[in-house]
Amino acid sequence: MILSADPFLLAPDAFPPLLGLSALLFSIGVAGVLVRRNPLVVFMSIELMLNAVNLAFISFGRFLNSEEGQIFAFMVIVVAAAEVVVGLALITQIFRIGRRLDVDDLNEMKL
Amino acid sequence: MMALLAAVPTLTPPTGSDIVGLLPEVILGGAFVILLLLDLITPASRRTWLAAFSVVAIVAAFGTTVWGWFDAYNNPHVHGVFFGAFAYDRFGLFINGVLLTSALLVVVISPQYLNRRGLHYGEYYSLILAATTGMMLLAGAASLMVIFLSVELLSISLYILSGFSRTDERSQEAALKYLLLGGFASAFLLYGMALVYGETGHTQLEQIAIAIHSGIATVDPLLLIGVVLMLVGFAFKVSAAPFHMWTPDVYQGAPTSVTAFMSVATKVAAFAALIRVFSFAFPDLYPQWQTAVVFVCILSMVWGNLAALSQTSLKRMLAYSGIAQAGYILIGVASSPHDAGGTIGALFYLAAYSLTNLGAFAVITIMSGRGEDLDRYASIRGLAHRRPYVAAAMALFMLSLAGFPPTAGFFGKFLVFSAAIKSGLMPLALWGIATSAVSIFYYLRVVLLMYAKPDADAKSYEWSKTTVSGGAVVAFTTAGTLVFGVFVTLLYTVATAAQQGALPRL
Repeated sequence: MILSADPFLLAPDAFPPLLGLSALLFSIGVAGVLVRRNPLVVFMSIELMLNAVNLAFISFGRFLNSEEGQIFAFMVIVVAAAEVVVGLALITQIFRIGRRLDVDDLNEMKL
Repeated sequence: MMALLAAVPTLTPPTGSDIVGLLPEVILGGAFVILLLLDLITPASRRTWLAAFSVVAIVAAFGTTVWGWFDAYNNPHVHGVFFGAFAYDRFGLFINGVLLTSALLVVVISPQYLNRRGLHYGEYYSLILAATTGMMLLAGAASLMVIFLSVELLSISLYILSGFSRTDERSQEAALKYLLLGGFASAFLLYGMALVYGETGHTQLEQIAIAIHSGIATVDPLLLIGVVLMLVGFAFKVSAAPFHMWTPDVYQGAPTSVTAFMSVATKVAAFAALIRVFSFAFPDLYPQWQTAVVFVCILSMVWGNLAALSQTSLKRMLAYSGIAQAGYILIGVASSPHDAGGTIGALFYLAAYSLTNLGAFAVITIMSGRGEDLDRYASIRGLAHRRPYVAAAMALFMLSLAGFPPTAGFFGKFLVFSAAIKSGLMPLALWGIATSAVSIFYYLRVVLLMYAKPDADAKSYEWSKTTVSGGAVVAFTTAGTLVFGVFVTLLYTVATAAQQGALPRL
């Protein structure tokens, strides 16, 4: 099934590096979320994680010769855009009611 | 390989029966769009009409759900509808019923609360309907793609709802925390999905189950990492420890009516997806995922119950109690592939929990002050002397959450514990019983505070009058908690039918 006549189909040995790259991007994203304090940068790190997922989906889809991976990647892109809209609106609003933009400062509620 | 190909449904345009399978979601989604437009032409003083319209839409969706309950049984779609992307089965419809009941109660209680807090905007009802639509889609989702999209539909609606009080710092803080951690968890869920897709070659649960069952997809580390990452994503949504960090802050900061909705409905919908994916699509990987679920389960019970002990805010206490309750429901999930009683118990528990917890939050909602929530322990002191009926109802909810008979909460716990014992998970049942004993302390503390004498020199709190709508919701949830606790077979029979009808079936 994998050996189709499609000339653009990924050779099996081109596949592990792509998956490795996707895992690396995902890890950078996780590290960014955990380490960075600015909500905007945290947000960008989450986007990086989502794009790592997209890369994994697309390379899997190409490797398996099925379209579902690419369709899934499109869905992820759309949803990520919707999430950004809400996220930026919230960050703007928090800035407006006079808070410094630092996730460590968001500690109004504590025990 | 041939068996795999034979199981792929042929691609034809969606037929009428596909649409019928999605009818409650279509009705609610349509009402959400219409409501957005209605909001433009409704004068600000008449926003209660929007609530009335939402109630009509929810009742209509509930009616089609009840009709579908019989239709799905008489005309079974064993491969799901829409080419297997959506399961039209009694399992999803049972969850739909629970979700729609919760949404209805929340919409009924909201106008009075929103008016008092000065938050009465029309978008509130649209967002509640959008979130409910997402949850219902999640309950029936039978494809990884539909699961992801419905998780995001409900999450994005809830991000906005928890930041609905635009000038309140706490509400904004809650929304941003929820959004950042929610996006973080979605990314884990997605990466898990990508790995599962890559290993099995399919995004539909039925195909994935076949691929794993027939050995086409070998059980290798990549697949297991995918399964565990998906568990992390779901555990975040059901607020199970150690992925619960957002729960207390978001529950406390969000407007109380929103907290009432998301504490119940999100948990129910996410558990539905969790049970469908793990118990029905990955039953062959049971030995592998069981350990992870048991770990999350014990951690949730211990952490949730211990942290709830030291709280001084009702909303925060209920948030930690919700984490602990997620642990108890996970006992049912952990024992489900061995014993059908696990899934039945989890479904029973979800229905009982949603009625009880919604009731408890409804009490906090109807007692809220002007512009602020009175959710400190100090502010409910002596409530029984001023509002005897409300206090009695709250006491009943607390007893049900703690698991005293004859309430619905008792039988929820009883069913999941007995399923755990039957499937050889005795230690899990013992952990559950031990931690519920701890939970009695903080639940009864609320009851004792309400029945204590009010301090003579304490300033009297301006509890608002209990209106007809608020009283009706509290009466309904009280009745539900008692009826399902006394006439257990009512709910148990329905939950059994839901478990038996669940798709995908191998």
